[in-house]
Amino acid sequence: MSDQIEFLWEQLPNLLWGFPDRRPGGLLLSLLLSSGAIAVGFIFGSALALARHARRRAVRFVADRVVWAIRGVPLLVLLVLLFQFLGTGAWFGIELSAFWSAAVTLSLYAGAYLSDVMTAGIGAVPRQLVDDARLLGAGPITAARTVTLPYALRTMRPALVTQAVTVFKDSSVVVVLGVSDLTTNARIALGGDVGNTPYWVATYLLVGFLYWIVAFAVGRLAENRHGRGPQVVGAHA
Amino acid sequence: MLDWLTADIAGEMARGVAVTIVLTIVTSISSFLVGLTAAIARRSRRNWLRPIATAFVEIFRNVPALILIIFFAFAVPNLFPAGLRGTLFFDNPLVDLLGAITTLTLPYYALAAAVALTLNTGAHLAEVIRPGLDAVPAARIDAARSLGASARTAYFTVTIPDGLRIGFPGIINRLVHNLKNTALVSFVAVPDAYQEIQAAITETFRATELLVFAAVLYLALATVLEFGLRRIERALWRGRPIDRMVDV
Repeated sequence: MSDQIEFLWEQLPNLLWGFPDRRPGGLLLSLLLSSGAIAVGFIFGSALALARHARRRAVRFVADRVVWAIRGVPLLVLLVLLFQFLGTGAWFGIELSAFWSAAVTLSLYAGAYLSDVMTAGIGAVPRQLVDDARLLGAGPITAARTVTLPYALRTMRPALVTQAVTVFKDSSVVVVLGVSDLTTNARIALGGDVGNTPYWVATYLLVGFLYWIVAFAVGRLAENRHGRGPQVVGAHA
Repeated sequence: MLDWLTADIAGEMARGVAVTIVLTIVTSISSFLVGLTAAIARRSRRNWLRPIATAFVEIFRNVPALILIIFFAFAVPNLFPAGLRGTLFFDNPLVDLLGAITTLTLPYYALAAAVALTLNTGAHLAEVIRPGLDAVPAARIDAARSLGASARTAYFTVTIPDGLRIGFPGIINRLVHNLKNTALVSFVAVPDAYQEIQAAITETFRATELLVFAAVLYLALATVLEFGLRRIERALWRGRPIDRMVDV
């Protein structure tokens, strides 16, 4: 039992912020990677969501197909496929590192999932509100930026947080590209050494706990607190 | 152009696709049952049952599916000393029987992966089924009760069926996600579609073609599954036009 604790104690820094020669890594890298992907994906997803509500049928169609294609493929396949295109230099003359290729893929993935939430949110924005903004002289982009998106954002906050947590948890799959994230470092820590087999259960319990604590804590934010919902803007406003 | 695609490789990949489909069907059914049970338990009147169900849902929903799969397949057998490990997980009549049914060489890994997916998807499903059950209008349950149905009968004939109807869009979403999560079993040596495609890449070096094929394959499977589940959803609502108008 004490050797279990000793092993975990020795590996804890590697799991939290990476091996000395490859920092940041571990949980810290998982957090950086997924929060970056969520930020970029949020912008991409909002643009997609606006496109899915566009007046032009062709724009709606293309945006719908993009989301459908990204959402229909496992993240594992998406990561490896995009690395084949972006990371090997064989296509388009681009040669991204495994990390940046994973970051691009995760951003697209986050964008597709967040766009679904934003699409529903935009659908819930009262038409009258947007028309009023347009009537007061706002262009379509200004109206989207100042009225549609802020309103949709407030309505969909819990669902957006849930999707963000999903992206964080799914970032564990980047282990397939060996990006020294939490899951990859757990595998490296255990290695191929048969002497390490007694530590597998303890290590994966710890890794599971680290993912759990972040997902659970952030997930709490998804719970709708009183008085934080969208303000009702009626005809009198 | 496709001269690298031999009958052998195509056969192996077809087998992989079959494994993916069977795994998806099995885990969809098992996780639906787990999810429904957990959702009911979380709404139970028994004070000891609710926290257990809540703990179950919060644990298996917040740990990545990949970690659960590796834990059950690769870590759990290591709890036992080498000799006992072999007998318990890889070499006994039960495992042999499972191997004979599934034609897999290492059936324990597939079983462990299926259990991990069931727990993960089940916990997520509980969280979409529970709001569905909550959303069943009290008036409908009261109506059943005043017609003489016992509380239990009303629960099984009104609350559960109507709650599942209301929660069905979320169930569809999660089951499609579960289909995609089955690709993760390739991490623990289960010869599913993705694993067989990777094996084909190692053999032929046709990475681009085969990975595009993998993407198209999963896209097709996800589309078919979603279409099928939408058909089921429509069948569930058939002949109940008024319920559609219930404010949910």
